[in-house]
Amino acid sequence: MIKVQALRKTFTSPVKEPGLMGSLKGLVKRETKSKDALKSVNLEIQQGEIIGLIGANGAGKTTLVKILAGIVHPTSGEATVLGFKPWERHNEYRKQMSLIMGQKAQVWWDLPALDSFILLKEIYQIEDSLYKKNLEFLADTLQIHDQLKVQVRRLSLGERMKVELMAALLHNPRVIFLDEPTIGLDISAQKAVREFMKNYQQEFRPITILTSHYMEDIKELCPRIVIIKEGEFVYDGALSKIQRLMGDEKVLSVTTPDKNFKVSVPRTDLSVKTAEIFKSNEVLDLNIHDPSIEDIIESIMKNGMKTT
Amino acid sequence: MNWWRYVSAMELRKILAYRSDFWITFIGQTLIQVLIARALWQSIFEANGATEMNGFTLPMMTLYFLIVPIGSKMLMGENVGFISREIYEGTFNRYLIYPLSFFQYKTLTYLTYSAFYGVQLILIYSLYNLIQSGISGEMFLNLVTGVGVFMIAAFAYCMMAMVIELISLWADNIWSLMVMARFGASFLGGGFIPINFFPEWMQSILKFLPFQYFISFPVRTVMGLVTREEMYQGIFFLVLWAGLLMLMANLIWMKGQKKYNGVGI
Repeated sequence: MIKVQALRKTFTSPVKEPGLMGSLKGLVKRETKSKDALKSVNLEIQQGEIIGLIGANGAGKTTLVKILAGIVHPTSGEATVLGFKPWERHNEYRKQMSLIMGQKAQVWWDLPALDSFILLKEIYQIEDSLYKKNLEFLADTLQIHDQLKVQVRRLSLGERMKVELMAALLHNPRVIFLDEPTIGLDISAQKAVREFMKNYQQEFRPITILTSHYMEDIKELCPRIVIIKEGEFVYDGALSKIQRLMGDEKVLSVTTPDKNFKVSVPRTDLSVKTAEIFKSNEVLDLNIHDPSIEDIIESIMKNGMKTT
Repeated sequence: MNWWRYVSAMELRKILAYRSDFWITFIGQTLIQVLIARALWQSIFEANGATEMNGFTLPMMTLYFLIVPIGSKMLMGENVGFISREIYEGTFNRYLIYPLSFFQYKTLTYLTYSAFYGVQLILIYSLYNLIQSGISGEMFLNLVTGVGVFMIAAFAYCMMAMVIELISLWADNIWSLMVMARFGASFLGGGFIPINFFPEWMQSILKFLPFQYFISFPVRTVMGLVTREEMYQGIFFLVLWAGLLMLMANLIWMKGQKKYNGVGI
């Protein structure tokens, strides 16, 4: 179980004026700027649950994941994962946890993946039979048998992500943090990673926190989502319920010779607003539909919403 | 602790992963450095019309500078930035996630490099002696003892490098500091000219610093130039410095890890 209470993280970074003068000034006196990456957030996740953490760049998703994985210390507040404080980095906790970051490699680049796996087997003290079983299962499911003896840096982006997934799951973690696992992958690789994670979640039931900018990842994998905006949770609930929250709205998708745009309007104002649009634009096409999940999340990320 | 063996094996595989780089480092680099040193010292001896300078003859000086480049590689293990580069690039995260001690892991990888170059030193020094005057039991004993002393020195130097490298938990880029420290340690340790050539006052100060025990002391041990008493004294100072530096590195790590924010390229 993951339990987060009033968790806060403030980062202080140096700031520098642009240009040569700014650089010279920075040599003598450096200004700093503080930013609240997380503003007293609360969260509970049960064993077997998978949640999608959604937010714009810099909203605080990765900071939360890094704190829960034990990489970063919080400024204040409490968090326990499987009963451990992550930043105390107990080996017992680390043996049950995995972090996969789409943008950072954790296996050793200069070596074939199999060499890294052998080392991880020893680090995690995985029994021989379990290691062989997991290696076979993961290589089969991810269809990457042929690439395991090739230097990791020579693999394609999709293959590298598969290798990262294998490295992260060899020890059957009870908690998995997936930070943008499909970033930069082509559509078929994204689909393969999604399919794999879906099946893995069903079979092994770990706690999983997934952050992603791709709504397909969230829709496929996460029955529950948390939307984070500027360090605060603005929605924490079922993905299926989110559409109902804006059930009284319709979206007009309009195409004119110059531009395409969307307008959200209350159902009761639909005819009036449609007439207005026809009057003030040269409309080539107009569609009236329910807001998509993407529309709703975008709207919440922009305008906010009270936590349910 | 079984993972120690696998970490060492993996580091060795990393050294052997790139064939051309391996041979250039293993033979080319050492050969060039020895040839330069030999040419330089030959002109110095000839210009002074001397057969001996500060206790060194030209063949002894050649031998000294055959050991120094390989010994320096043993001492300085992985390249500059073995921790700070990973902090800068964000790959440092893995040591916080995996259930292992970051200190043990980094020390082990460092000493694996040292041990690898220790083997190189044994091979090249033996080959040189075989060609020059043949291998005696005493020469081989001195060589093995000297390699052992180099390993202790490498451990102490690793602790010093950690103290400097961990500063990057506060300052993003400390490249110049690390290069300066490396250059300073080489110079003050007798890596560029033997310590006997330094002025008296400087030699007196250096006795209280760890640098001469990093390079000059192990090199002289390999050459059989230290007495038993000097040997015990040298090892004592090395262990003492290693302990002090380890304590400092630990304190910096305890404080600095709270500053780490896990960003990278």
